Amino acid sequence: MIVLEWLFLTIAPCDAAEPWQLGSQDAATPMMQGIMDLHHDIFFFLILILVFVLRILVRALWHFHYQKNPIPQRIVHGTTIEILRTIFPSIIPMFIAIPSFALLYSMDEVVVDPAITIKAIGHQWYRTYEYSDYNSSDEESLTFDSYTIPEDDLELGQSRLLEVDNRVVVPAKTHLRIIVTSADVPHSWAVPSSGVKCDAVPGRLNQISISVQREGVYYGQCSEICGTNHAFTSIVVEAVSRKDYGSRVSNQLIPQTGEA
Amino acid sequence: MAEAASTETPSLSEQYLLKKKDENSDVGSKPLEAKEEVKPETAISEEKAEEAPIAASEEKVEDTTAAVAEESTEINPAAENNSDDASAVETESSETVEQQNSDEQEAADEAPQIKLETAPADFRFPTTNQTRHCFTRYIEYHRCIAAKGEGAPECDKFAKYYRSLCPSEWIERWNEQRENGTFPGPL
Ligand SMILES: [Cu+2]
Repeated sequence: MIVLEWLFLTIAPCDAAEPWQLGSQDAATPMMQGIMDLHHDIFFFLILILVFVLRILVRALWHFHYQKNPIPQRIVHGTTIEILRTIFPSIIPMFIAIPSFALLYSMDEVVVDPAITIKAIGHQWYRTYEYSDYNSSDEESLTFDSYTIPEDDLELGQSRLLEVDNRVVVPAKTHLRIIVTSADVPHSWAVPSSGVKCDAVPGRLNQISISVQREGVYYGQCSEICGTNHAFTSIVVEAVSRKDYGSRVSNQLIPQTGEA
Repeated sequence: MAEAASTETPSLSEQYLLKKKDENSDVGSKPLEAKEEVKPETAISEEKAEEAPIAASEEKVEDTTAAVAEESTEINPAAENNSDDASAVETESSETVEQQNSDEQEAADEAPQIKLETAPADFRFPTTNQTRHCFTRYIEYHRCIAAKGEGAPECDKFAKYYRSLCPSEWIERWNEQRENGTFPGPL
């Protein structure tokens, strides 16, 4: 365990980036699982190619020594090797491309009707979230701003530049539609463990559909330079059970309708 | 430790599996779960700690709770009188779990269950860009209103859809534009 920590190979227990992290964060959605699987698949080919190329390179350097073997072999033409070295490199990208495109389109496609729509609106430099599925008029809506907690106000255990004052509460194991947009400059809505990184473009609504598979708190940051406080535009998604989500939303809705 | 972890490490699918029992489980097992949930989230635990005494006083008035809850509410003021901070906080925190427990039950009984429902996926807008989806739903609603009359129940679903999809800022702006007669879309 300690050795692993020395090698910075600790397993991240929570869904935020940790110091010296090399791999991905734990997957929370099937999408992220797919991304990680694709990464590993591609790495298989990558290492094969690396080993092969290194072998050729080292062999060439080893054999064509200026004293021991000053004149290299002078082959100008070899049909077999030329066919092989054309076909194999074109097959390998295919093996990479097929799962890659499959994943890409499956991420884009909305197969199931979502159960919830959440609007994530980027501002300089905070985020506004709107839950408007339960509205009965244009005005009333469950809307809140989410600011990053400044470094001085952090409590013990909270992550710097990650924790926010109002988290996005979503139900786990539910198909979510997140509408990402911006009110001023381009921002981005990115949560690594959910495999989502979506630009927030003013005047445009980008849809991402995710289904968080386990309850937890997921951290993300803005991924599009949006100004001076770009670093202070973090995202925290809190996945709770459906029941808790229901009570959370209805608790927040009641006082609002009471005021109005 | 490492050995124990390796033997008990669940498979990936097991890790993802959410426990279903929390919905139907008996009251006795709940406090532990609640405590675990509260721990990492300091902000929320604070909220709950604030809520708990209020709930306690409410229940005292109602006089409907079990003996345990009553005992704790009786003990609590005495502890507060004796020593201001430390013991009061302790009893409060132990109470929080119990009260939260009953709070959850109350919430399940009283809170209107919200329906998880939103605008469905539309085959006209299969891509990431949903700008037109929102706009179209808004237009559809206002056309529907124009055809069927204000407040027609058939149009309610379109209203629901566009409210789900469009940012409220956009809706406000469009409503203004419609009033001024400068709305860019076909109505
Ligand atoms: Cu940014």
